[in-house]
Amino acid sequence: MKRTFAIALALLVAVAAATAAPAVKLVYWSMWNQTEPQAQVLEAAIRDFEAKNAGVKVEINWNGREIRKTLQPALDNKQVIDLWDEDTERVVKTWGAYALKLDAYLAKSYPSTGGKAYKDAVMGSLVNLARSYAADKGLYAVPYQPFVFAFMYNKEHFDKAGIKTAPKTWDELLAAMAKLKAAGFTPMTVDDAYMDTLPGYYLARAKGYPWVEQLVKDKTNAMWSDPAVLQMAKAFENLAKSGYLSKTVASNKWPAGQQDVAAGDVTMYLNGTWLVNEIMGSTGPDFKWGTFSFPTVPGGKDDQTAANFGAQAFQINKNCKNPDVAFALIAHLTTGKWDAELAKKSYGVPVGGTTDWPVQLAEAKAIFNNLKTCYPWAAGIQANVDKLPVISENFTKLVGGTITAEQFVAAMKK
Amino acid sequence: MKKKRHTLMKVVFLGPAVLSYLAVFLYPTLRTTVMSFFKVDSITDAVSKWSFAGLDNYRTLFSSELFLRSMRNIAGIWLYGGLLVFALALLLAAILTSGVRLKSFFRAVIYLPNVISAVAMGTMWMQYVYSSRYGLLKSTFKTLGLEGLSAVQWTSPEHIFGALLVAYCFGMVGYFMLIFMAGIEKIPADFYEVATIEGAGKFKQFRHITMPLMKGVMRTSIVLWTISTVVFFIWSMVFSPLNPEPGTVTPMVYMYQMVFGANMVVTERNVGAGAAVGVLLSLMVLAIFIVSSKAIRDDGLEF
Repeated sequence: MKRTFAIALALLVAVAAATAAPAVKLVYWSMWNQTEPQAQVLEAAIRDFEAKNAGVKVEINWNGREIRKTLQPALDNKQVIDLWDEDTERVVKTWGAYALKLDAYLAKSYPSTGGKAYKDAVMGSLVNLARSYAADKGLYAVPYQPFVFAFMYNKEHFDKAGIKTAPKTWDELLAAMAKLKAAGFTPMTVDDAYMDTLPGYYLARAKGYPWVEQLVKDKTNAMWSDPAVLQMAKAFENLAKSGYLSKTVASNKWPAGQQDVAAGDVTMYLNGTWLVNEIMGSTGPDFKWGTFSFPTVPGGKDDQTAANFGAQAFQINKNCKNPDVAFALIAHLTTGKWDAELAKKSYGVPVGGTTDWPVQLAEAKAIFNNLKTCYPWAAGIQANVDKLPVISENFTKLVGGTITAEQFVAAMKK
Repeated sequence: MKKKRHTLMKVVFLGPAVLSYLAVFLYPTLRTTVMSFFKVDSITDAVSKWSFAGLDNYRTLFSSELFLRSMRNIAGIWLYGGLLVFALALLLAAILTSGVRLKSFFRAVIYLPNVISAVAMGTMWMQYVYSSRYGLLKSTFKTLGLEGLSAVQWTSPEHIFGALLVAYCFGMVGYFMLIFMAGIEKIPADFYEVATIEGAGKFKQFRHITMPLMKGVMRTSIVLWTISTVVFFIWSMVFSPLNPEPGTVTPMVYMYQMVFGANMVVTERNVGAGAAVGVLLSLMVLAIFIVSSKAIRDDGLEF
């Protein structure tokens, strides 16, 4: 009798536990694939949040980068999605209309912010960046996983070639490349995916990024006659002629070029700080990474305080039923322990102002702290998607050595 | 009474098919056509958010260098690729139906690339065969002592269209070979026996018996080839996964970029222009279908 009673009681408890719905359920659509290190840290952090906040349940939908195509149709069809993430510029500009304004949360403090207001626990430059993309300059996204776009290089090659300090000007870059070549290294490579960043950055250093955007959008093509364009083309023609670029540069299909860097065959590669994590499988953690900002160019306007930097960012649905819990989750993910864990596991940049940076990104930290101007992606050269493939194609021929600087300019003016 | 039953039968048997056709094909076609005259930001925007743009979307397309290039590219794939694939497929079909040994083995081997996912095949060509570091072509030419050929950068802007074409045709040969073989095997063997007795050689038999009796098969194949060229997408995406590239861009890739936005940067989307691409492609298929039906008449021969 007693036993039957015990069993019945146990069953009752079990049934009650199983049917008790969580008090708060959040649905998170993620830009990561479940196998990526970022996803693994985020999942562990989310489970930790659930453990610390009884009654909260978070459903994760790993979209990967396909979220660029899947999110908006789902939102339009009123699917319940409480929060999501992608690149800061994309979430604010493309999905801003679906997002909740978050300024009010910045002044609040959370368990992981160490008693400080949220805004004082993270890098202010990133919050300002997210605000700058919004029409009303409000905050519609919370940045995390920041990056800066700069030359990523093999420090061991620099040491062996006797290069003491990273180049700051184009002439210093040429001198460094000469030393690298003499020491038996291929100084630089690029993949098709990033081909346009080289002319984009050079032109932005010469004239500023708004000029680059005007240049590519100029329907008459008259602006391509500007001497800065020929100067840029000559500079890269010279790199190709001097043998400073990888021989396969014209046919590199991503990730062929960056794998050459990982293999230790090539020294420099203009890329984001995410490169460290992206090719960690080939380099291993002991690869000595260095980072230097795109050098200034002769007669140029911009210096190292300008670069393309950005971050991924979380956004909360304006129709979210529990926005306070959703923001608490975001604070949990982007500050304190889990921010540090994410930076460590993904060899990335932490959001917290005082969190330690991975050793591979020590030099990137100095660049980050120096930044004043944020370039758009590829410094604005992608502003016209119809013109971009033509620029990339001809620039590829230029660095491949099959056309001259003058022919490049002529092709751009067609 | 009898007549009534017939009507009921027609409704019962045709109803589901007609309804599905209307819902799945006709409605999207009409909506896309209407959409191509509007400015639409997101593909899931409510109709109330569309704004009428007249022929602007079509004007945008014909002033875009990239779109015109994409049209030239599919014209190139259709013509050069078509000649290559049809010539090879016919040749192989003729050889394999002429009574060679191990026929089914060769047929299976040549058809094999069609069984493998196009993405896997494309990646294999792209990252392995054409690689300028350790590629199959590079090492093969090197072994043969052809230094010049082994140094060719197969995926550089100068060569990428050719590289794409060869990789794509490699798989398609087997597909059309199978169709041609079926066509040839349908022709009664007596025709060839008589021709042999009369003293006609293999080539003459091919020209005067096989080819004329394959007219219908040819016409179908040309339409199939046209459709697969017009919707050319996967191979182009595998060869240029991030941003479209002039050497490999096709109208479908262009449409994809217009509808879903560029990959790396945030740009304005123009779903209306994407819809206009779709309309133009449909018209092209229709035109080719009509032309090939008229040009290659079915003689109504029964055999």
